[in-house]
Amino acid sequence: MGTYIARRLLWVPVLLFLVSFITFVLGQFGPGDPVQILLGQYSDPAAVQRIREQRGLDENVAVQYYRYISGVVQGDFGESYQYRGRSVGELLAKRIPVSAQLNLAALIISVGLGIPIGLFSALKQGSIWDTTSVAATLLAQSLPVFFTAPVLLLVFALKLDILPTHGWGGFFDSRIILPALVIGIPGVAIITRLTRASTLEVVHQDYVRTARAKGLGERAVITRHILRNALIPVVTTLGFALAGLASGSFIVELYFGIPGVGLLAIESLFARDYPIIMAVVIIGTTLFVLANLLIDLAYPFLDPRIRLGGGNIGG
Amino acid sequence: MAWKSLIAMVIGSLFLTACSTVSTPATPEPTTPQTSPSTASSTATTPSNTSTTPNETFSLQAQVDAVDAAQGGKLVRLFRDPPTLDPHLTTDNISGALVNEVYSGLVNVDLDLNVVPDLAETIDVSDDGRTYTFHLRSNAKFHDGKTVTAPDVKWSLERVTNPETQAPVAAQYLSDIVGVTEKLNGSASSIEGVRVVDDRTIEITIDAPKSYFLAKLTYPTAFVLDRDNIEGKGNDWLRQPNGTGPFKLAQYDIGEILRLERNDNYYRKLAYLDEIDFILSGGTAMLMYENNEIHLTGVGIGDLDRVLDPSEPLNAQLQTAPSNFSVDYIGLNVEQPPLDDPKLRLALNLAFDREAIATQVLSNLRTPANGIIPMGFPSYNTNLSGYQYDPEMARQLLKESKYGNDLDNLPRITLNISGSFGANVPLDLEVILQAWEQELGIQVDIQQTEWATFLQDLHARRYQMFTIAWGADYPDPENFLDVLFYTGSDNNQTNYSNPEVDALLEQARVEGDQAKRFELYNRIEQMILDEAPWVPLWNSGESYLLLKPEVKGYYLTPMTIPKYRHVYIIN
Repeated sequence: MGTYIARRLLWVPVLLFLVSFITFVLGQFGPGDPVQILLGQYSDPAAVQRIREQRGLDENVAVQYYRYISGVVQGDFGESYQYRGRSVGELLAKRIPVSAQLNLAALIISVGLGIPIGLFSALKQGSIWDTTSVAATLLAQSLPVFFTAPVLLLVFALKLDILPTHGWGGFFDSRIILPALVIGIPGVAIITRLTRASTLEVVHQDYVRTARAKGLGERAVITRHILRNALIPVVTTLGFALAGLASGSFIVELYFGIPGVGLLAIESLFARDYPIIMAVVIIGTTLFVLANLLIDLAYPFLDPRIRLGGGNIGG
Repeated sequence: MAWKSLIAMVIGSLFLTACSTVSTPATPEPTTPQTSPSTASSTATTPSNTSTTPNETFSLQAQVDAVDAAQGGKLVRLFRDPPTLDPHLTTDNISGALVNEVYSGLVNVDLDLNVVPDLAETIDVSDDGRTYTFHLRSNAKFHDGKTVTAPDVKWSLERVTNPETQAPVAAQYLSDIVGVTEKLNGSASSIEGVRVVDDRTIEITIDAPKSYFLAKLTYPTAFVLDRDNIEGKGNDWLRQPNGTGPFKLAQYDIGEILRLERNDNYYRKLAYLDEIDFILSGGTAMLMYENNEIHLTGVGIGDLDRVLDPSEPLNAQLQTAPSNFSVDYIGLNVEQPPLDDPKLRLALNLAFDREAIATQVLSNLRTPANGIIPMGFPSYNTNLSGYQYDPEMARQLLKESKYGNDLDNLPRITLNISGSFGANVPLDLEVILQAWEQELGIQVDIQQTEWATFLQDLHARRYQMFTIAWGADYPDPENFLDVLFYTGSDNNQTNYSNPEVDALLEQARVEGDQAKRFELYNRIEQMILDEAPWVPLWNSGESYLLLKPEVKGYYLTPMTIPKYRHVYIIN
């Protein structure tokens, strides 16, 4: 297991290098110039050139990348182009908690609804409830954010007029409800389906039959024997969701005017604020990769039959 | 003067700083007054602040100066995170609004939009119009009480023109000063034209007698900073800037709040307010206003019907503001067929009804633009013969143009507009395009490009036809006519060139008599309109502001100038 972890960890910098380098180079070749955007509509080619030189934007891409990544390795993500005089770290530090709260609320919705619905469907397999929930989840999962967001706004904000449309007031503010639902609904579908599928697999296992045979009550069978085993794949997805906590939901944050990482990233894309874009990409990738690793490491604790790196699971 | 017209005149909305009217992508924010849509009211057609309006003796500044209110109170409003609080780096109106309260410069613009001495007490101009001698106020102090001296002024100008400062608009505002260009491009280590005469006297020499030089000097680029506050501190000084303005920065938490408090060392009449809270964390402005959480808010289209209803209690708190100094236009690249024929360009201008579109499509939130200079701006010409809707004449002109004989083979025209997030094509443009097709049979395709790319292509002169707005950077017609139409100017995106116009522009730059100068600009504007490199569309017009009745002395202006020190709150 030690070598497995070491091997996986060694991959992390390689992946980060590839992702960051590709993002960096793509930025260089895209249209639009961050310095020109600072000047806005006013055209002053000499000023643009002067500032580009000062920032080293005219140098070879490899040189620029090396300089940038050397800073990042030392924890310095540089200075924002659009918010002048502000470090990227400072700006992100303000945004990450916002996105994290929003995503946590969404996660609570996904898990809170997904697990019970999935379990219920599986236990009532073939019933009308089961069919309905399978169909509903399939639908919910297929709906893109740019569809659910306006529809929820139309219903809850405009027609029923019970929820606000826009803005941010923290975790315990009613403005979090709609965006959290928009992010959470596809999650409900995923978790419902996962829970249902794995529960169905588990209920036919010998140990469940044994548990029933030894006279355990149905509640005890479900919580102690079925649920615990059925949740393994669910935990996997939760891990990914946790990795996503610190990264913003771009479209949802834009749509609802939530000052999180996603909104900052979109603003930065339009302002060609490369230092921020790079930081969002690098942090997002790192979290994703590490979360992935942690999930893999967590498996053996949940299911003793799984051995890491041994290839002895069989089949 | 009737109360209403007074209000209409002074509650001019909208900050204007460098190119502020462009549609840069930003957080959707329908909340602050400076982003509200606007049109000009009929009362706004006789503003007091232009030299073209004779016999106007009313002075808002004088009225405000006569007020003597008690100190105290806190003003609360919504705002947005400023991209910077460094005046030398400021290019946008959000930063500009705050920077104008915390810092100051030798001159500024008063509420009547006159350029007046600020840190300077008096200004002497040499007979040849090239040397300006500024005598600093003896009581001019930084926030910490230290006296502002001529070396401070010089150091600030040296800082902003140091290439390492990376000031984006230093050249735009300061390159009239002898030696600034050399300093900026690194061939000189100090500005030749700036000389410290003694501790309280500084002398600035410019390259030609340009009467708009002082107007340019009102921009934050020329503000005075404290060397001890800045040197060796990296960006940390911005947390506790030692400015000279009527307010000082008390607190700034990114994305949460920015709080200003009164500077008791201010060299002019002190501000009344103890504090101003700029809430940065967002919120629904109307709701917050109605809950008494904020003192003022702009009114978006969605709430307009309600607050315009006289039976609505809020209606009594509604104030209207006249148009700001900007013009939306369609630019025509005069080098690209078929727009290379002035007759065809004129035909485009006459073929649609600006009045009707403003009323029916734009709900009067914009007013038809007669010409290039916005209504009420210095040198605005009430006698200008602007473009009148005349489809007959338009068809006639089109026939007379060199494309008139073979209209079926007219080269294709593409109109480029900037727009992000899948924004719709503005309805007014759709209507204009339809009018061109119906009246003239000219088809125009629309191409929408995201802002950054749009800018790049615009500056590279890649567009045949484009639409954009131009807002005033300083109160002088040079900022429109010279910057946008002089042959080869960096901002002349239509490639318009007329040697006669150029000669007049050169003459106007150095004309000492302001009345004569404005006459020159009026002539120039008419000449340009006759050749039609633009299709002027709209001036932004009246906007609506809700202001709590206890707040007095809050005046919105068509340009970004310091204004909060006039505000007071009555019990």
